[in-house]
Amino acid sequence: MPSTDSFATRENAIRIASSDLQYNEQTLRALFEHCSDVVFRSVALQDNAKLLLVYVDGMIDKELVQSSILKPLMYDGLPQGLRTLDSLAQMCNLQLVAALQTKRISVFDEVADLILKGSVAFLAEGESSILLADVSQFESRAIEEPSTEAALRGTRESFTEELRTNTTMLRRIIVTPGLKMESFQIGKLTKTEVVLSYIDGVASPSLIDQVRTRIEAIDIQSVLESGYIEEYIEDTNYSPFPQTQSTERADVVSAGLLEGRLAVFVSGSPIVLVVPMTFWDGLQAPDDYYERFLYVTMNRWIRYLFALFSILFPSIYIALITYHPEMVPPKLMLSITALREQSPFPTVIEVFIMEFMFEGLREAGIRLPQQIGPLVSIVGALVIGQAAVQAGIISAPIVIVVSAAGISSFVIPRYRFGYPFRMLRFPLLLLSGCFGLFGVALGLILILAHLIQLTPLGSPYLEPIAPAKENKLLNVLIRRPRKRTS
Amino acid sequence: MKKAMILLCLSLLSTVTGGCWNLKEPNQLAIVIAGGLDANKDGRLVVSSQIAIPAGLNSQSTGASNNRSFVVVSALGKDFMDAGQNLQTQLSRSLFYAHRQTILIGQRMAEQGLAKQGIRRYLDMIVRNPKSEIRSVIWVVKGGEAKDILATKPTFDPLISTALSSIQMSLGMKPYYFREFLGDALKNGGAVLLPAVSGNSSGTKFNYSGAAVLNKENGLRLSGFLKPVESYYANWITGRQKMFTITALQSQGGSSISIRVKPLRNRIDIDKGPQGIRVHIRLRGSGDIVENNTLLDPSSAKDLQTIQNRLSKEAEQRVAKLIDLAQKQYKVDFLGIGELVHRKYPREWKSLQKNWNDTFITLPITSEVRIRYQDPGQTNAAI
Repeated sequence: MPSTDSFATRENAIRIASSDLQYNEQTLRALFEHCSDVVFRSVALQDNAKLLLVYVDGMIDKELVQSSILKPLMYDGLPQGLRTLDSLAQMCNLQLVAALQTKRISVFDEVADLILKGSVAFLAEGESSILLADVSQFESRAIEEPSTEAALRGTRESFTEELRTNTTMLRRIIVTPGLKMESFQIGKLTKTEVVLSYIDGVASPSLIDQVRTRIEAIDIQSVLESGYIEEYIEDTNYSPFPQTQSTERADVVSAGLLEGRLAVFVSGSPIVLVVPMTFWDGLQAPDDYYERFLYVTMNRWIRYLFALFSILFPSIYIALITYHPEMVPPKLMLSITALREQSPFPTVIEVFIMEFMFEGLREAGIRLPQQIGPLVSIVGALVIGQAAVQAGIISAPIVIVVSAAGISSFVIPRYRFGYPFRMLRFPLLLLSGCFGLFGVALGLILILAHLIQLTPLGSPYLEPIAPAKENKLLNVLIRRPRKRTS
Repeated sequence: MKKAMILLCLSLLSTVTGGCWNLKEPNQLAIVIAGGLDANKDGRLVVSSQIAIPAGLNSQSTGASNNRSFVVVSALGKDFMDAGQNLQTQLSRSLFYAHRQTILIGQRMAEQGLAKQGIRRYLDMIVRNPKSEIRSVIWVVKGGEAKDILATKPTFDPLISTALSSIQMSLGMKPYYFREFLGDALKNGGAVLLPAVSGNSSGTKFNYSGAAVLNKENGLRLSGFLKPVESYYANWITGRQKMFTITALQSQGGSSISIRVKPLRNRIDIDKGPQGIRVHIRLRGSGDIVENNTLLDPSSAKDLQTIQNRLSKEAEQRVAKLIDLAQKQYKVDFLGIGELVHRKYPREWKSLQKNWNDTFITLPITSEVRIRYQDPGQTNAAI
């Protein structure tokens, strides 16, 4: 076996294990050439029969292998009741290995895959198939509090990188065999496990079919995060609005499933996708359904107002100040004019500069190590807020406008959903700088037109507002209290 | 995507071809706070504008700099906009009228107008110009010129902008805006009452000085002024006064009693009898006694009756004098009777409206005022 064997050729050549242990060992050794973490361990059993174990160091539960596989075979002899075995081959055949999941495979590539996923391979003289026992165990992160979707009330558990942990969390919440978890393997190199989850009888079969076909059709070398899958599931990649709801909270996923939606788990990613998503889901917080309905209703309105505010405030400011100064109350107009006297730039340019600085600060705040984080906010506040105004580069109202709009974009409870609002500010700024309120109206019309024609996975994005569904309409505006039906 | 681009391009094109581009930075604007109309000695129009200097408004932070917060510029012209054009020659920023909150008319302008035409002709500009603010308050300057008042510095505000309407509100009146003036001036017959302001001799302060009577049948020319007290009663009759204090002297001695009346109610009955139209003005008001220097005790029914009668009589006398003033001295209907006749007898109004003022002075107008008290105040009798 040449060591320069490329991936493609290896895939084409399906090699079956022979009954010759020597040959099998050589083939596997060639496959795992230069893989220092793959261990080949020869064991001689009581009757000097040779048994070869192959595994990846660090991926298996050593304790388990030693105590329940090696020891019984080496010292205690064969299990009672089977007095003599013709060969080790027979032992492998009968799968006398104390592990929960075992498999017998004779194709080398499949064997290699399973070894890489944490199985131990048993090769025996005279046996043409290889026995694989799943004894995988990895170091994994503990379950922590959700970091991007904080809620005052509700579960403190967030998903981890371990797929099984995540699906288990869901199973613990929704206790029914109707909760289905279809598994797919995606990515030629990463062979990532993707699980499509739904509740049978709740989610519509056509929707399930659609998502299943889309997942099956994915042809990709690698999947590193659920974002990869997201782009294959969603309809319009060009839309600034996210069409799948991504969450790291088990309760959000459960709620979605119970509403007849689908969840996509991706191994190695703590972010789970819930499809299809509507615009209003993006503005709902996890604890909307746990808190008292009055506060929630108020909070919802605040969120809607601030979402609108975050996208419109800077452009309306520009439009009013430079195109329609008659619409500003006289006293306010005078004080704005007074503060603008020294500024060298037109209002539009000022707002642009500040918006870019704000986005820069935001990005820096995410990327910086935690120890330097506060530094950015101090520098941001001092340099941008104070010094730039005093130096006369930026006029003070701009700082207010931009920071108010920036902060209000963070009121949107799902962080990802704030992106389109921050991004669409810029085209709106341009439009209002060019055409005043007319431009703002134009921009809003375009955004609305886009939102209305957006139907990810066949469900309208703005439902139940457009198309109007009267029975659900109220739920967007208020959170109705749950009533006892006695 | 392609459709959206086409839509965007078309929309942009429509704005460009439609000329929808009027970007102006605020520091390119000379914001007119108040405007004044005067006639100079030759009878030519002088337009004055009070223009805010924003940098001066913001001088608190930079310490005790003596920056002016406004400047008054005046220019002659054939009409308002012609004068505006001439004003522009003195300014480096373009005039912006949309924040003009005050319009002042000088006495000579109000009396004679230009070329003996009255000021009615100049109403047009303020409505026609889209940038012009019709929510300005409009005042007549008594015994002076508008530009002198514009040059005074109000006590509280840095600019005259809201000072005049604040005066009206603190006196318990509704501010009289240009749009109301327009509505009143365009109806036929009678006269319009405009608030009047006068400056002191040194030209540093101004104060409310009653109302100006503009005769509508004479091109809105000034007929005369009402004293402040007279103007309160006139406003009560026309429903523009919300609150004021009536003080009555006791018949003997100099002791007085004051009542702050709020709310004020007015009701004018128009009846057509065999002798023609009769007008009966009924005014009612109730309020708190705010000062009592007399020996009367409001808690005793007899004294209370005396107080109420005394106050009502005082007010009644004032109203009777005011009616006299309108019918005998100014000979114009500034009490808005004409409009009420119009509403009640629209058919007859058609023939009456032409020379309403002549009819008005012959009308029998009776009046009665009833003032009641609500609250005797902290103490009953005077201490």
